[in-house]
Amino acid sequence: KEGQTPGCHLYPINVTIRSDRRGTCKGTHLVYACVGYCESSAFPSRYSVLVASNFTHNITSASRCCTISKDAKVKVRLDCPRGRHYDEIEILTAKACRCDMCRKSRY
Amino acid sequence: AVLCVSMTTPLQSFRGCAVREFSFVAQKPGCKGLHITTEACWGRCHTWERPILEPPFIHRHHRVCTYSRIRHMMARLPGCLPNVSSLYHYPMALQCHCTFCSMEDTECQTF
Repeated sequence: KEGQTPGCHLYPINVTIRSDRRGTCKGTHLVYACVGYCESSAFPSRYSVLVASNFTHNITSASRCCTISKDAKVKVRLDCPRGRHYDEIEILTAKACRCDMCRKSRY
Repeated sequence: AVLCVSMTTPLQSFRGCAVREFSFVAQKPGCKGLHITTEACWGRCHTWERPILEPPFIHRHHRVCTYSRIRHMMARLPGCLPNVSSLYHYPMALQCHCTFCSMEDTECQTF
């Protein structure tokens, strides 16, 4: 189960995709995320860092975060009611995870 | 968290973010170094990346263990040149938490 041990691991999630707000066509697929606990620390900055930042960065954070190190595209088939037609939509899935550089979250 | 990490805590399996003892040599040009032991932050924060349908196609939740409450400390460095102030300021952690790495007040690095 997720998070039993420190580190960054594959974690299955079910993704449901709908073709429109009413969900006329929809499909569900199991994809993988990367979830975990990676090491980080924060400590007083060295003097060279203080000078370089005009004495604003008095803390240094040395951190790793759980990241997707390898991914792949998977096709999800959307099934439509009463119709024979369907759409295929591509979504990413994680294939491997790694504790690596933390990035600014976009949300 | 206010929990202090000590030798009795199994560090290999520790999850969360806590105050931990930290030693460093305070140095600046024109003075001799001074060994300082203080409190800093250490831990493992819950972080993840998951695929999403819309750009940028990866939803990311990256947090780092850093100071949430600080006491501003001051030390006097030995052997300073006459024109150099011996004062050395540094932060001491009173409390730590998992949050965004803010480039406003933090040098955000990886290791």
